[in-house]
Amino acid sequence: MGRYVLRRTGAAIATLIAASIVIFAFIHLIPGDPVYVMLGDGATPEQVARLRNRLGLDEPLVFQYLIWAGSALQGDLGQSIFFETPVTQVIAEGAETSILLAVITMFWIVAFGVPVGILAAIRQGTWIDQGLSGLAMLLASVPTFWVGLYLILIFAAGLGWFPSSGFPSVFDDGGLYNLRYLILPSLALAAPNAALILRLTRASMLDVAREDYVRTARAKGIPPYRVVLRHILRNALLAVVSAFGFTFAALISEAVVTETVFALPGIGRTVVQSILRRDYPVIQGVILVIVCLYLIINLLVDLSYRFLDPRVELE
Amino acid sequence: MKLTKFLSGAAVLALMATPLSAQTLRYATIGEPPSLDSQMGTATLASTISQHMFETLYAFDASNAPQPYLVTGEEISEDGKTITLNLREGVLFHDGDTMTAEDVAASLTRWAEYGSRGKLLGLESAEATGELEVTLTLSAVNGAWKSILAFVNGGPVIYPAEIVSEAGGEPIAAENYIGTGPYKFGELRPNRHVELVRFDDFTPNEAESDGAAGKRVANFEALRFIPVPDVGTRVSGVQAGDYDYAEYISGDLYGMVRDDDSIQVKISAAPIFGLMFMNSEEGPLAENIKLRQAIMAALDNEQALQVSVGEPELYEATGAFFAEGNIWHTKAGTEAYSQGDPAKAKTLAEEAGYDGTPIKLLVSTNYKAHFDDASVFTRQLADAGINVQMVVVDWATLLTLRGQPAEWDMFMTHHGTVPDPVLLTVMNDSYPGWWQTDEKRDLVAEFTGTSDLAARQATWEKLQALIYEQLPVIKVGNLYSFDIASPQLTTQWEQAPAFPYFWGASK
Amino acid sequence: MRQLLLTWTRPAVSRPMTAVGVLFLLTIVIFAAASPWIAPYPPDLIDPVNRLQPPGPGHLLGTDHFGRDTFSRIVYGARLALLIGVGVVLFALATGVPIGVLSALFPALGVVLMRMVDVLMSFPSLLLALGLIVILGQGVFNAILAIGLIYLTTTARIVYGVALRLKAEPYVEAARSAGAGTWWIVTRHILPNMISPLLVQASFVFAFAQLGAASLDFLGLGAPPEIPSWGNMLAESRIYITRASWLLLWPGLMIVLTAFSLNLVGDALRDRMDPRFREMMRR
Repeated sequence: MGRYVLRRTGAAIATLIAASIVIFAFIHLIPGDPVYVMLGDGATPEQVARLRNRLGLDEPLVFQYLIWAGSALQGDLGQSIFFETPVTQVIAEGAETSILLAVITMFWIVAFGVPVGILAAIRQGTWIDQGLSGLAMLLASVPTFWVGLYLILIFAAGLGWFPSSGFPSVFDDGGLYNLRYLILPSLALAAPNAALILRLTRASMLDVAREDYVRTARAKGIPPYRVVLRHILRNALLAVVSAFGFTFAALISEAVVTETVFALPGIGRTVVQSILRRDYPVIQGVILVIVCLYLIINLLVDLSYRFLDPRVELE
Repeated sequence: MKLTKFLSGAAVLALMATPLSAQTLRYATIGEPPSLDSQMGTATLASTISQHMFETLYAFDASNAPQPYLVTGEEISEDGKTITLNLREGVLFHDGDTMTAEDVAASLTRWAEYGSRGKLLGLESAEATGELEVTLTLSAVNGAWKSILAFVNGGPVIYPAEIVSEAGGEPIAAENYIGTGPYKFGELRPNRHVELVRFDDFTPNEAESDGAAGKRVANFEALRFIPVPDVGTRVSGVQAGDYDYAEYISGDLYGMVRDDDSIQVKISAAPIFGLMFMNSEEGPLAENIKLRQAIMAALDNEQALQVSVGEPELYEATGAFFAEGNIWHTKAGTEAYSQGDPAKAKTLAEEAGYDGTPIKLLVSTNYKAHFDDASVFTRQLADAGINVQMVVVDWATLLTLRGQPAEWDMFMTHHGTVPDPVLLTVMNDSYPGWWQTDEKRDLVAEFTGTSDLAARQATWEKLQALIYEQLPVIKVGNLYSFDIASPQLTTQWEQAPAFPYFWGASK
Repeated sequence: MRQLLLTWTRPAVSRPMTAVGVLFLLTIVIFAAASPWIAPYPPDLIDPVNRLQPPGPGHLLGTDHFGRDTFSRIVYGARLALLIGVGVVLFALATGVPIGVLSALFPALGVVLMRMVDVLMSFPSLLLALGLIVILGQGVFNAILAIGLIYLTTTARIVYGVALRLKAEPYVEAARSAGAGTWWIVTRHILPNMISPLLVQASFVFAFAQLGAASLDFLGLGAPPEIPSWGNMLAESRIYITRASWLLLWPGLMIVLTAFSLNLVGDALRDRMDPRFREMMRR
């Protein structure tokens, strides 16, 4: 077990280092100069040169990378060119929104995907199963931003049940009541991913039901609902847990669009805006943090999966 | 089950009254502002925000004439090159210090050296010649000096001397935002908001309020500027009471919001206008004025405005660079505007020796109107046999590319109304497009060489005619943008100024 | 060959939903191939006087803010949908298959290649695509490349898994110990057995490429805005949602139905597949 943990962790770190080089190289290939965006329409060439120099944009690339990577290790991701505040502060500012959005979305996904998936599996082959599976596939085929726009049109602009956009912090006026700002975005974001979990739950339930030990349990005369609960469900959920890794990655990706549609002050929108503003340090910092998170979550999922499922060998 | 319960619970919560903070103005902006150091940048949004913190020596009244603001008056020497300013007494900075002649001289000196519009005045020196007296020496007579000193956008706002000398040519850092205005810097939270809070020891100018000039009263405890890039979201936010004010609403939504009781409409007092610049330095258009005239002949600007603005009440197809009623308004040269004559264009293009070389039109999608105008123009020029290739990039890339003469032949941008023609970008020799003909040089010298208004007006007429002859730029047309506000908000102005201000406002 | 044909057709016949999906896809193909004859107007014909018309006679699905005919643009949009789909699938297969097969056959190389795939997979896919577009510039080809890169990784993973299993099959082992060369094994044993998993993967990639391209278009970084693509139509009409919501309805429906039909087809194909591979293709 120990060796396995070490090996997986080592691999994750190697991936992270490779990824950081890719991030750094990518960002600097972007055409367009942040300095022009900052100085506005009437900037003179002297102003531009002066600002470039101050921001260190005229140093050699390798040098810029080493400085960046070195300070990143100490938790310093540099200064945002645009905001002139530390990148860590920019990220922290967006983190609340993004984390809450992810948690609420995950709640919808599990609350809808797992029970409905179980229902479909129990009623395998009936019209209920076919209908639910069809619905899942339809949900998986819908662009999240399109759903988002119509949710705003109907539930915010039309019925006025929910706010249309933005998200004041839960630490500001309104407190937890401000979470209502995240209902529509999380629903839009949950739709395709809930569909995925639904299908996965159904499929793994059916797989487990075919396994020998479940047949044995049935043969021993254990009541069907207990077979479902004790054996099938528990093992099927393992497969769902293992899907959390890529669900997380999908959430982060699609959140970029969802946060744009709903004008949420989250990390995803920060990246898009920073790309448009050529705010290199912010783009680098955010993507690095996301990649880190992704690797950690996958590592934890892998390890816990191996730990939880007695059937999986450790080597 | 769990799901329905949660949903209905949330719906009930949402139906309850929202707690509103009556003391804060919530302003939905089109995006995030860059540095608020007014001297160094020309971004409109930055000026809108920073004018509440930083003030100028003169301020525009309701008729757009500059009035003394941080000064009480001035004396001008015989030759017009030396100006002595008398400052108001006892004006307090946000840090509690009193404004002195040293502060003003240091601010003006830094602005003249590094400021975005610092070269306009031709300031040779600004010296403190008394406790409350500053003497300016100009390199030449500048008829527009008072307007230049009053224009906040990239203009000479007054900072404490020590902050100015520390910053030098770099933008002032947020923690050093110290001015004399009715609001002081509160906090900047990336992607969330910029907040200004009331400055309780503010020293108002006691003259009666008139436009931005005169007395400024801060009724709101705080002003909060929230970035909401999506226009539909800005509108529904005001409807829902989430924002008190929202800027840059697109023309197509005008009909809808005009009839909506939950919204009041604030049409801008002064138009902004699209501009299509031509490359005078390199490429097929550089020396070929005939070809430019062919392009001009092909365009039907009215069509472009119909598409990009939509609402007839909000646009005006006019070639004049200053709107009717403005002291600089003239129709000189504008008969060439919006001809929409593809046959004539074809003939002119042939005479110009045009061989079908693709003409690169640089445009960004960040501004929808730029892209809409460019699409219509491209189509119209195609009908006249002129082959235009749109190069669509984002705004940041466009700003970089247009600095490189080899990369483009035309590019789209826009311009706001300015108090004096010298502030137009096309007048600047080093602005991309690089229009610097002999005829221009002579007329510009004539224009800035006198402070006599009638003489300057006459020269501007000749300059505008020259623009329509040499076509360094093509004006698309006037667009009256509009902002919206909640019905409870009252402001000091009826129509939205170029940089809406909120002293004197309440809700 | 006959087998292959059956794999494609039988599911469509046995499941009515899938048949509807196939019919819809055929419509798209016809739209794309015959757009000049089907569309009543050129897709870029500007007519400011008739802008923002609701659906009705004259303009079946209404007009946009340029006064362009929405139905004509939908029809021409099918071209780009197919182009993006085919392009992304070809790119993903052309890169993912060699990477996967080589990695399975040569474990030393596999360690390096699959690690590189891991690195790519650790990036949020849309951000990766966004970044690439910003670097390469906007364009249809670059959009294909950017989205293709996302599916290079999943395709390589799947091919790698399938190839590893095939390699361990007794008959492949036997061929190898009988002295068969690598080329022989790849062309005779591995690639032919991979066709049906690849077909399934291709239809899913095709479906998700539609969604990816729509997202890029929506953020203004996909196909150049002057090209009529369904995603661009959504992006352009977005601000008219309260005033002319039909402008968002049609292109959105086209994207959803195209992706849905492809998913149906992919699903049907997968259910007919060798159960040994089915598990790998669950996503």
